[in-house]
Amino acid sequence: MPEDLNQKISQFLDNELDHVQALNLLKKVQLQSELQDKLNRYEAISHAMRTDIFLLTKADFSKKISQQIQKEPVYLLPQHKAFKPSHKQIAVAASIAIVAVIAGHSMNDPDQYPKTALAVQVAQNQLPEQPANSAGYANQAAQDPLNKRINDYLQAHNSSVYTNGEADFQRFARVTAYSHK
Amino acid sequence: MTVVKLLFAVLLLSIKIASAREPELNALQVLEKMNHAMEVLNYQGTVAFLKNGKLEPMKYVHAAAKGVQQERLLSLNSPLREIIRDAGKVSCLFKESQQSIVDHRPFERSFLVDVPRNLDEVGAIYQFEVVGEENVAMLPSYVVAIQPKDNARYSRKIWIEKKQFLPLKIVLYDNQGVPLEQVVFTEIEVKDSLPFIDVKFLDSIHPAKHIHQLQSQSSDQAAFIVTELPKGFREVFFTRKPMHNAEQPVDHLLLSDGFTSVSIYMESKSAAMQSGLQSVGAVNSYSRTINNYQLTVMGEAPAETVKFIAEGIKLRDLKD
Repeated sequence: MPEDLNQKISQFLDNELDHVQALNLLKKVQLQSELQDKLNRYEAISHAMRTDIFLLTKADFSKKISQQIQKEPVYLLPQHKAFKPSHKQIAVAASIAIVAVIAGHSMNDPDQYPKTALAVQVAQNQLPEQPANSAGYANQAAQDPLNKRINDYLQAHNSSVYTNGEADFQRFARVTAYSHK
Repeated sequence: MTVVKLLFAVLLLSIKIASAREPELNALQVLEKMNHAMEVLNYQGTVAFLKNGKLEPMKYVHAAAKGVQQERLLSLNSPLREIIRDAGKVSCLFKESQQSIVDHRPFERSFLVDVPRNLDEVGAIYQFEVVGEENVAMLPSYVVAIQPKDNARYSRKIWIEKKQFLPLKIVLYDNQGVPLEQVVFTEIEVKDSLPFIDVKFLDSIHPAKHIHQLQSQSSDQAAFIVTELPKGFREVFFTRKPMHNAEQPVDHLLLSDGFTSVSIYMESKSAAMQSGLQSVGAVNSYSRTINNYQLTVMGEAPAETVKFIAEGIKLRDLKD
């Protein structure tokens, strides 16, 4: 197998190919089952390197999708002549199927979930061991002056700290994590 | 003649049925009825607060009599606590430690949702619409959408029960429409009357820590000036008081557009401060230093909004 094709597959998975190059590669992949297997393997390796979890598809997954697409009836109303799928159309359909599989995998990548709206766990409940004004609390406050400051601000801002279980944070809770933007 | 009488009877019956049919209410009318119901009805139930990724189920009681109200929450999970709001004061008693906090908050009315009494005032920045009807806690409800007219604030939906007009569910959404916070009743009942709890009794038994003892002061005393604000925001409360320790006062200015509140804090700079954007659940904050002061703007508003407000703040010229 030509070395440059391997490189192109690798570039394709790293999203480094432009649209035309990617389409050309997918057309070649569609015609060669060996290339399809290679693409699957590279994708799985790439995915495993990025995350701990990945879905392994069977080697003939994209071929089966392509076959299913060919079996699907196509309606182009109001034209009455029978639809004859050309090789070009099959290639495009298969390309879309492969892209869909890869896109599906990347969407399953937990690292790529949008983080903006995910609620952030901020409170870590701690059972009190010492009174609020004890030296023990003073030490903790000294260790987390930033957290204490933000807690003080949150408490002064509105009363939601009471419904969050974060009230009396001097004894029970402290802010432990923030999502930095 | 009999036929005419029969027709007349049918006509009368039709008019009666038509007049008995519930009139169509618009969103503003539903919200106004909700505000009224929240103040005058006695009701209790179980409410779940989903904030900061944490679910907090609580027993909720609202007692009202002769224009006086009391709101009470009892946590079902640790830390076990009872929270009582009456007349601008929130008292929180911790069952395990037997300690209590008394927090003076004259600018808030409810743990569930604060909807402005005069909705016409916020009509320029929010639009209100009944977007559907759904069941919450098996009760048919109007779904009222409160949609901001710009991106400087978040949108909300309130599910309001159709007979009593109590809020059963409140959801705060970010600008992409993703829920940030939820408050939802799993069961609720309206009573003829409910008992008030004597908070003074609690105060006399347990040592209470008072958090806000000061009344609102003039914001002219603030060390800073707010030069730019998103449309509709106005000053609600200003105080200068020690917050982290007795020696160091902090200026706190609370702003609100009716639904969205933003706090501005300014204090002397110290090593423990961090600049930039941070977020805690739906709350975004932006901090920066101005000379020897640290400024933080915080609120349930988009990050761009708190940053915009923070960047428009400058130190007050003492000669002014």
